[in-house]
Amino acid sequence: FQQNLEPDAKTTGPNTQPCGTPQVILESEHLALILTFTPLSTQISVFLQPKPENAVTVAVSSRVLFRTEREQKVFEQKGVEEYLRYQIEHENEPFAPGPAFPFVKALEAVNIRLRELYPQSEELFDIVLVTYNHAHVGIRLINTINHHNLFIERFCMTGGSSPIGYLKAWQTNLYLSADAEKVREALAEGIAAATMFMTEKLTEVSQSQLRVAFDGDAVLFSDESERIFKTHGLDKFFEHEKENEDTLLDHGPLKGFLEALGKLQKKFYAKGQRLDCPIRTYLVTARSAASSGIRALKTLRAWGLEIDEAMFLAGAPKGPMLEKIRPHIYFDDQMFHVEGAAEMGTVAAHVPYGIAQKYNSQQKMSSGK
Amino acid sequence: MVSTVTNTDVKQKDVDQAVVVAVTFAAVFEPETEDGSSIYRLGVALPLVQVLQRVNERLLEKNPAEHQLFDVILITTESWQQQQNSSIINSTRHHGLEVGRFCFSTEEDYIESLMQNNVQLFLTTDGNEALQATQQGVPSALLDTNWVSCPSEQLRVLFCEKAIFQLNMGSTEASKKSAQNFLAHLGQMKQKFGVFDSPLCFTLVTSHGGKDNCCCALKSLRSLGVSVDEAYCLGGAPRGPILSLLRPHFLLSDGFSLLEG
Repeated sequence: FQQNLEPDAKTTGPNTQPCGTPQVILESEHLALILTFTPLSTQISVFLQPKPENAVTVAVSSRVLFRTEREQKVFEQKGVEEYLRYQIEHENEPFAPGPAFPFVKALEAVNIRLRELYPQSEELFDIVLVTYNHAHVGIRLINTINHHNLFIERFCMTGGSSPIGYLKAWQTNLYLSADAEKVREALAEGIAAATMFMTEKLTEVSQSQLRVAFDGDAVLFSDESERIFKTHGLDKFFEHEKENEDTLLDHGPLKGFLEALGKLQKKFYAKGQRLDCPIRTYLVTARSAASSGIRALKTLRAWGLEIDEAMFLAGAPKGPMLEKIRPHIYFDDQMFHVEGAAEMGTVAAHVPYGIAQKYNSQQKMSSGK
Repeated sequence: MVSTVTNTDVKQKDVDQAVVVAVTFAAVFEPETEDGSSIYRLGVALPLVQVLQRVNERLLEKNPAEHQLFDVILITTESWQQQQNSSIINSTRHHGLEVGRFCFSTEEDYIESLMQNNVQLFLTTDGNEALQATQQGVPSALLDTNWVSCPSEQLRVLFCEKAIFQLNMGSTEASKKSAQNFLAHLGQMKQKFGVFDSPLCFTLVTSHGGKDNCCCALKSLRSLGVSVDEAYCLGGAPRGPILSLLRPHFLLSDGFSLLEG
């Protein structure tokens, strides 16, 4: 790695930490390079820690990265002191992977490919664990991260305070949490966010290609058309879309994240790897290809965003289509679709944005949930 | 010539069990008096002094016979301040601050004064003072004027690698030991409260190294009896934005060293 360190890089000598993991840390103005010499292997793991403003920062909470249902029960039934005691007692037992785990692994796979092509670049995914867990749980979480060989070197354990300030300080591009309230708070601050749920059935997803699927209205686009549909019905919706075919839709909460993915995709295209690109994006919308879908496509084009595959379902259920695509994550604003996707084994995340939320809760009430 | 004066307005703390914290005149007061009087105006460290008082109150609520309390000393570190001793005493009483003793010393002998009074933590807004005191074995912390003045119901202590900005601190074995003792006291005080509604909040911030570095720090603090509420592993990201959210009253970096040498 002798190459290309900044001329003003300061080196601290190799040193042994009290815990016996030797590390060499080199810092320069632009990046921090951490070399960890693991005692069990002869390999040196080298990774760049990008500055937050250059990276695509994905913040995940501990409850979606790992499975913590048992611990949640302890918290709910026995209170916080017992919960913390339980966590410390089980400190050396790693948690099992949660719904966001395959997604995070896929982000890391993309990073490996990016580093091969652009060794000096900081335009990478940076995964940050953001939890409002107490730092008592910290050692167990770090042990778990190590157990699963995840490259997460940044985290915030806020001990109960709202993580929103930290999300902004880390310039977070996407926040995934199990707590809908926190997700709503993040959305209100302009941070792309979605709620994830644990499903029992999980279809196998690609280890080498990150696949991200998006719903259109109220996810990539604003909820304006959805409003028309909900209040005036399908006919009015079609009428409105036809009339406004050439008017761009307003942007939705996840447009920025799609944009960030697009920027990384272009880095692969620039090196002639369009066919072999490890990032693939999908639009899965209830709009129809022949009519209302046109406005969606025109909007995307005007924004300069490419989406690899667009599925116009004209109202058909999304589950089967998603089962074919096998995305690592699918974003939708309607719980109905999120649940439908989950039933068929797709990891779906709910974006609690727009008019559909009023109907989500009404549905819940009427079905007596 | 150092002189120590007891503040008779304040009940004196137990010599053996109290945790002695010294705060400089310049931190507690503004250098000018209020118009037409000899009363000094309160400075940036007022919320800090108040929150130390608050911790004591909460400890006494739990146990009225509690002796492990903060014993706050006000210390002068310049000759002109030393000469203002009576105004300083009057100002302190006027504002009702819970300061147990006054140490009137100069730049020559303030460190000696700190040692004579068994000060376990020296708080100052002056970087040089903090550095010199640490080199002589008195654990010190530099108060950041940006955050120390935020009113709070909790004493917010932050553990990190670089609390005082110079890298080569020259911490001695003795100062490390004293720092560890202080940390143990803090840990014991905190243990008397539950997780919620505690008047003490401890945060760990590791700027360099990765998660294993942070893990070691958590274990190290735990072995001293200090349980940390919040932990931030920055992995090289700038510290500023996080610190401005955390608003600690002071930063400690000794006693649980992360990077040796």
